[in-house]
Amino acid sequence: MNTAATTTAYLPDDAVAIPEPQVIKGRLSNTQYFKYWRTCAAMGPIFLTAFIICWGVLGHNIPPIPADHTADQMAEFFRTHYNEVRAGMAGAMLFGVLYLPWTLSITKVMEWINPLENNIATTLQMWGGGLTVVPLVTSSVFWLTAAYRPDVLSPVTLQMLYDQGWLLIDMFYAITTIPMVAIGVAGLTDKRAAPLFPRWACWFSIWAGISFLFELLMPFFKSGLFARQGWLNFWVEFIVWFAYIVIITYYVFKAIPRLEKERTAALAKA
Amino acid sequence: MPHPENDMTQNPPDLATEEAVSILRGRHLPGVLVFIIADMAVFCMLFVGFMVDRMKDVALFNNSAIALDVRFGVANTLILVTSGLFVVLAVNAARAGLRKTTRGWLLLSFLVGAGFGVSKIVEYSIKISSGITMQTNPFYMYYYALTGAHFLHFVGGMIALAVLWVLAGREATVSRNTFNLIESGALYWHMVDLLWLFLFPMLYLLVPR
Repeated sequence: MNTAATTTAYLPDDAVAIPEPQVIKGRLSNTQYFKYWRTCAAMGPIFLTAFIICWGVLGHNIPPIPADHTADQMAEFFRTHYNEVRAGMAGAMLFGVLYLPWTLSITKVMEWINPLENNIATTLQMWGGGLTVVPLVTSSVFWLTAAYRPDVLSPVTLQMLYDQGWLLIDMFYAITTIPMVAIGVAGLTDKRAAPLFPRWACWFSIWAGISFLFELLMPFFKSGLFARQGWLNFWVEFIVWFAYIVIITYYVFKAIPRLEKERTAALAKA
Repeated sequence: MPHPENDMTQNPPDLATEEAVSILRGRHLPGVLVFIIADMAVFCMLFVGFMVDRMKDVALFNNSAIALDVRFGVANTLILVTSGLFVVLAVNAARAGLRKTTRGWLLLSFLVGAGFGVSKIVEYSIKISSGITMQTNPFYMYYYALTGAHFLHFVGGMIALAVLWVLAGREATVSRNTFNLIESGALYWHMVDLLWLFLFPMLYLLVPR
């Protein structure tokens, strides 16, 4: 590929306003300014991989224990697999917080979409993404509690703890919808000829966030597509969420070198 | 300073030219289509799920479906198709730069479309007052879930039509950006139509009457 042409393509077109001084932080070199951005962005795939292994495989949540299983079946599961679940949930609680730095990397890129406009979408994305850690970690506590003393807890109590974990992680979906919609809406207003987040990715993000609405039906069913183990409310929704993480991470990594060049050009203009 | 070619609000485009339309499509439409295709993919999976579950208990599904009032289904189909036609006319008017005509068709589309909302609320009320909920049996689970999800899409479309009507009212002529939004909104509204055209025969007409 022609380097000069590529460099030109990455320079901001005139439709992109020069950011405010506090966004540019003009006294910082690019190395200082963009320090940790890539590290934070890398936390997304690390979170995803670790979460699938810890929460999904070790925790036996991919797929979940069906909601129509009896309390005795649930008790038998915990009394057999308690050590795996303990390890899985401890890992899920550790790696679950990586969603926070990953969210921040998106926030930093979003600040450059429309630097002269207000930062409502960016702030919503940061808070929504950061608070997504809460259901991820808190639901893991319920499963960890069940695995802590499964020999003395009654089957009904174990069933309640497992149900509570799933009801929390599924029904708190709206906190994740907020950043997904915020990224999409902000990205669609990007005036660059080649937006930082392509329009298809923005629309996908909005759609994926809204598609979580099907989780509203989850508490009403113990079997079928809307149950926690159902093909729609588990397989489709979780795959959509995982895909969103991969897609957004990819475009954050693509945006950072572009912004490095844009910032250099913006500083030269300022 | 914004680039003159990118500043859509200050440079109303010649929307009648193929070039302008081509630029707009290139910049915006593929994104909206991702939303629409993803949405329709999930609905297609739901349709397959319905048919698979129906095959497991055809008698139950037929006995439940026969209790639905086809007149509501027919009325809703006519309402949505008519409203869709008015949106097409709004797009044509917008392409010709006719702001007032565009707003007129958008308003008409909204008003006719509102009939769908009224009809659905009446239909839901009758069913619920008869004690039929989504937990009555698998057929009604699909009935409420499918028509409920479709209803939420309908509400989103109505909001979009209202927003487009307001946006078109703020400009002296139809700007390039507003035209693009109207065309995107029209595509979405047609998706709402199209989904209903699958839902209606699947839920109301599949049963031999």
